[in-house]
Amino acid sequence: MRPTCTRAALPLLVAMVVAGRATAQQPDSRLERLDAATRPTVVALVDSARTAMLPTEPLVQRALEGATKRASGDAIVAAVRRLAADLGHARDALGSTASPAELTAGAAALRAGASQATLAQLRHARREPLTVPLAVLADLVASGVPVDSAAAAVLGLAARARDADLVEFRRAVERDIALGAPPAAATAAAATAAEVWVNAGARQQRPGRP
Amino acid sequence: MRPAPAARHVWTASLAAATSVFGVRTSAAQTTATVDIGVSTVRYDGFLPSAAGSLTPALTWERPGAVVTARGTYLRFESGRRSLQGLMAASLFTPPSLLPHRWRGELSLSTGGSNYADFASFWHATGEARLHYVGAGRGAWIGGTGGRTSYGSAPRPVAVAGVGVWARRAQVTLAASATRSFVGDTAYSDVGATIHASRGRFEVDGSLAARLSSHGAGHGVYGEASTTFTLGERTALLISGGRYPTDPVSGSVAGRYLSAGLRLRTPLLRPRPIRDPPLPSRSPANGDGGGSADVTARLEVKPAPDGTVRLVVYAPAAATVELAGDFTDWQPVALQPTSEGAWESVQHIPVGVHRVNVRIDGGRWTAPAGTTRTTDEFGGEVGIVAVP
Repeated sequence: MRPTCTRAALPLLVAMVVAGRATAQQPDSRLERLDAATRPTVVALVDSARTAMLPTEPLVQRALEGATKRASGDAIVAAVRRLAADLGHARDALGSTASPAELTAGAAALRAGASQATLAQLRHARREPLTVPLAVLADLVASGVPVDSAAAAVLGLAARARDADLVEFRRAVERDIALGAPPAAATAAAATAAEVWVNAGARQQRPGRP
Repeated sequence: MRPAPAARHVWTASLAAATSVFGVRTSAAQTTATVDIGVSTVRYDGFLPSAAGSLTPALTWERPGAVVTARGTYLRFESGRRSLQGLMAASLFTPPSLLPHRWRGELSLSTGGSNYADFASFWHATGEARLHYVGAGRGAWIGGTGGRTSYGSAPRPVAVAGVGVWARRAQVTLAASATRSFVGDTAYSDVGATIHASRGRFEVDGSLAARLSSHGAGHGVYGEASTTFTLGERTALLISGGRYPTDPVSGSVAGRYLSAGLRLRTPLLRPRPIRDPPLPSRSPANGDGGGSADVTARLEVKPAPDGTVRLVVYAPAAATVELAGDFTDWQPVALQPTSEGAWESVQHIPVGVHRVNVRIDGGRWTAPAGTTRTTDEFGGEVGIVAVP
């Protein structure tokens, strides 16, 4: 009888401890920059995210961004609520082991238009942290690259490319877009150019040979 | 020294046709130019060693999927004789959508000529088609070359078949190839490997090759190495040396050499970037002052080895520059002027995606150039930067 009671009480005890810790968490003092009407709602959203084991720092930062830009309370609350939802969707796609930085980048990618399936594929394709690939993906879409093209390019590179290679790839795309190339074409070309290191013309250059 | 008129017309027409077929858009191109000034000691097979001074200008035009290079070399030997060489080569890749995933086609065109002391002259004009398989960090190709070459006599046909593989890991690229060449009644096979590596200011290239089954083009093992040390944005030191075989296509004679030189690079020549459109009109939710609202700033993010990140804003006409982002808790940080038009601050910024805005002379918060601009949910815009 006693073991049964123990097994039943344990989850309840854990839930009480977690809930107690959540309620005992002091509101972030930085949120005092929000007006009195907005602050309680944002604090509640942050607490809910904490209870759901989502990173709370991005939510605080989004609220502070709104405060610095003198946005309305409604706009701040809407932005924080939307980001919390995006973080949750990102975790669904990337898994519970995803780091806060990965979740933040994943939320940005989802907001840019990437699908949860794309995020899940990236997690499957790459063992290293996904922060930079996700950042590049979101960045490409924000630059006007169609989300399918951006996702295909990043997925193609993510398996082996290092973070520095991905950043360089992003720069190449940015340069070509700046020079007038259509974003989708620039992405596809840069993704391939990053891989074609040997071309027929390269062997004709021998510096210094008389 | 120069291709015959007929050859030039064929080459020009081929380039124009290929440009059309491959969809090259000149608007996205960029051009770089270099001049190498050097001294060499060279010993051509069958000749005495000689010192020489060289001048090698080169012009490279490139855009995604296409590269065109023109280069010339003026050599002045210690005997007072001179040699002139010129080469123009182009590589055009098929668009990714034309062939199945991971496959790319390449058309390469090459024409050039050389002249030594007014009595020996060569020219060649060739075209090569390659099919590339491009994997993750590795690839392979198969190709064929056709064309003509002349050594002051009737042109001879050129035919080359080749295969190659390559692999790249980090900053090192390894490649190996095998070719069988037919130039008139001369035939030979080359097998070889190359390596390219770069680290910091250094770039190193090396090659090792062997000529086999040769009828009229010599036998042997050959190797070359070169290193480039970047001195500044527009200067580099070059050191190279080795032994290379006779090339019946371009007309170069086998020899061994050691060279040192200085490379001067021009600034990048390219059309004015069009990425930064006029900023949107000020939103009531997006600013808190007047100031120089129309001043456009440019942000550069420079991670340092010690984990800090140097943020440099270029705003030449500004009196004050502030920055706020999710790494400053969105508290404005005043940047310090450092050099002409540059303002900077050093911050501890964790790896990841960050949002940032810049304010000039107390004006509105704007997304600086150099970041990816997006709407900020508060009626304005925000810049996105990734810190790797």
